[in-house]
Amino acid sequence: MAVIELHDVVKTFGTTHALDHLDLTVEQGEVHGFLGPNGAGKSTTIRVLLGLLRADSGTATMLGGDPWRDAATLHRRLAYVPGDVSLWPNLSGGEVIDVLARMRGGLDEARRTQMLERFDLDPTKKARTYSKGNRQKVALVAALASRADLYLLDEPTSGLDPLMEAEFQEAVHELKAEGATILLSSHILAEAEALADRISIIRAGRVVQSGTLAELRHLTRTTVIAETERPATAIGTVPGVHEPELHGNRVTFDVDSDHLDAAVNALAALGVRSLAAHPPTLEELFLRQYGEDVTA
Amino acid sequence: MSDSSGSSVTGVGHLLRLVLRRDRVRLPVWMVGLGGTIVASALAVPPLYDTPEKIAGYARTVGASPVSYLMSGRQAGLDTLGGIVANEISQVAQLGVCLMVVFLVVRHTRAEEESGRAELLRSTVLGRHAATFAGLVYGVAAALLIGAITTISMLAAGLPTTGSLTYGTGLALLGVTYTAVTLVAVQLSTSARGALGLAGAAVAVGYLVRGLGAMEDNALVWLSPFGWAQRMDAFGDERWWPVVLLLGSTALLLALAARLMAQRDFGGGLLDTRPGRARAGWQLSTSFGLATRLQRGLLIGWAVGLFLLGLLYGSVIPTIPDLIASNPEMADVVGVGGQAAEVALVDAFLAYIFLFMAVISCGFVVSSVLRLRTEEEAGRTEAVLATPVSRTGWMAATTTLALVAAAKLTVIMGLGLALGYGLGSGEWDRVLPQVAGQLAYLPGTLVVGALAVALYGLLPRGTGLAWAAVALIALQVILGQLLGLPDAVQAISPFWHLAAVPVDDFEILPFVSLLALAAALVAAGLWGYRRRDAVTG
Repeated sequence: MAVIELHDVVKTFGTTHALDHLDLTVEQGEVHGFLGPNGAGKSTTIRVLLGLLRADSGTATMLGGDPWRDAATLHRRLAYVPGDVSLWPNLSGGEVIDVLARMRGGLDEARRTQMLERFDLDPTKKARTYSKGNRQKVALVAALASRADLYLLDEPTSGLDPLMEAEFQEAVHELKAEGATILLSSHILAEAEALADRISIIRAGRVVQSGTLAELRHLTRTTVIAETERPATAIGTVPGVHEPELHGNRVTFDVDSDHLDAAVNALAALGVRSLAAHPPTLEELFLRQYGEDVTA
Repeated sequence: MSDSSGSSVTGVGHLLRLVLRRDRVRLPVWMVGLGGTIVASALAVPPLYDTPEKIAGYARTVGASPVSYLMSGRQAGLDTLGGIVANEISQVAQLGVCLMVVFLVVRHTRAEEESGRAELLRSTVLGRHAATFAGLVYGVAAALLIGAITTISMLAAGLPTTGSLTYGTGLALLGVTYTAVTLVAVQLSTSARGALGLAGAAVAVGYLVRGLGAMEDNALVWLSPFGWAQRMDAFGDERWWPVVLLLGSTALLLALAARLMAQRDFGGGLLDTRPGRARAGWQLSTSFGLATRLQRGLLIGWAVGLFLLGLLYGSVIPTIPDLIASNPEMADVVGVGGQAAEVALVDAFLAYIFLFMAVISCGFVVSSVLRLRTEEEAGRTEAVLATPVSRTGWMAATTTLALVAAAKLTVIMGLGLALGYGLGSGEWDRVLPQVAGQLAYLPGTLVVGALAVALYGLLPRGTGLAWAAVALIALQVILGQLLGLPDAVQAISPFWHLAAVPVDDFEILPFVSLLALAAALVAAGLWGYRRRDAVTG
């Protein structure tokens, strides 16, 4: 069952098309990476899901309800970390965590304590004195300390140091193990790669790629680095091979995943001394989405 | 600013250009709004007082009334046209120039620092004192402009040159002094709101001390910058030495501000540095609890301020009979003699005070309601609405808080008046009439608050119009008669429709009608908020 189902959603601000016929499906129990550069429409999508913005057209379903009409009811079952965390300056971090959790309908005391320890956060400081990273931690603890079916996390690790990022990933694994669904918006590819079951890539208000990491990789190229006994001068003629570079007996090239077989065979015929191949990183996927025209 | 020379103010030119760019609407609005009011008032006086008899009468009656002393002080030369103009515009011009510099200076100093924007600027080639210095230059320039507009409008009204210059100078220097006061306030508080509160309180204290001194005709006036500016006695003896008091105190305050600035960290202050609680109290479990907590400082500040204001006004009521005794002609104006004249004069005084305080409380109700907008712009409403709190619930919480608090403040003002009166006269039988009298004006305040609610729901980018409404109402109350505004214009003010208790008998119809209007405006606001995007730029 899909927890989030957006179909053909359009949202404009004046003349800006923030969401341009966006489709997005997030299944029950998955960690869904929502990737895109700044200004692609990630936060707008999440705000539509929260019922903060009203879509101009299209259909949106979340947790079986209408995010605009049933906002307050649906919010009992979700927790949210905003992309740009702003806290009440004269409240302490602990007070902010409590107030949001209580409004959400209750707080898991044990989890609150655990999260405060895990993120090493001093709850007695006034929010105006927190650094950006610490404000982010307050928002994270407030969201992760409540039990929810759906977590909407908008760039949740911005401003966190690597140690805290690791703690965050650990926490997400735990939530997933409990059966929660998580929409994780990010432009940090390693984070999505480490956490996400499925990924949607958004660009200029529309989702341009969606699928599991394996599916997305299938659509793309593998990088091969090989040393052969005889120079692989003809490797460029193998279908699906791109950008071959030859340095003596050493060759590097990219190959479409569908043609990997043919390329490896061609190398084998030349006598392989060493062979290294790595699947495309998300980074490469991402660059491809933004570096080239992907309408094809 | 002795130590702000050289490199510590490097870059002030760039900052000032940025300030002017950011305020290219705001500054002209102040100039047109405040300056225009002064011009219109100055030009309205001569046609009204076109015979020597009328001018002489003003000095003995209007200008010598308790309300006039309290609100405008003892103006020199009241038996001349110049003195009358000065007396008529003083309240608006003096309070206006002070509030203007407070708002403008805080906006470009502490507000910038609190928002973190100033940090970006400080990382460029900018001296430590540059921002403070830019605030000073800006505040001084705005005050001088208002002073110049005032002098020019007085000259245009055909008043003597020396008097016009003296008055305009005193007004401008009053603004300069409060620019310096504000610059101290922004060093003390870490929040822009706190700095506004401190500087605003300083304006109120200066104004009230001068009023009290004028009423009792004693040396108290010399403790207030308002008094110094006034005792330059424009259109009277015209003395220039009070300028020394104004400039001297400005210099001292600026030295203090520079010293505080040099000692504190960027973003820091001298107040507000305690740690908070690790857990939220039980009150912080609902959106109403949160709204209350967020406005705690605002509520306490206004409650204390308005109570003291009521106390002060109440305490001067018993001195009104003395004014009649020393000025028999006053009884003629009122139309009755002896005891009845006293009662009539006290009633007129009370009616004005009730109205005046009700208008002031509009400032509270608007700023309280518009916290909704502040929260939205800061992105914090988003966090609340992502919980099961509905839009209606969140907006209703803040609206209820604001409107109920306005009612409570009204009672507090009435109690302050009654207590002040009791302390002054030893009579304690007026508590109920004074609380009830103040409450008779409450629907006007509620309508203004409800207007802010409606604007927030229907026209979130236009919430500033609620402040424009407060300014218009103040204008109508203070200058409506002088300017001869047509009824259709005066009727914009909700207070204009209410019975002037206790001079007139209480009328139920306008009272209930305004309450109904307030309810309709609130409903419209809630309706609009349910339909619009909750995040607007």
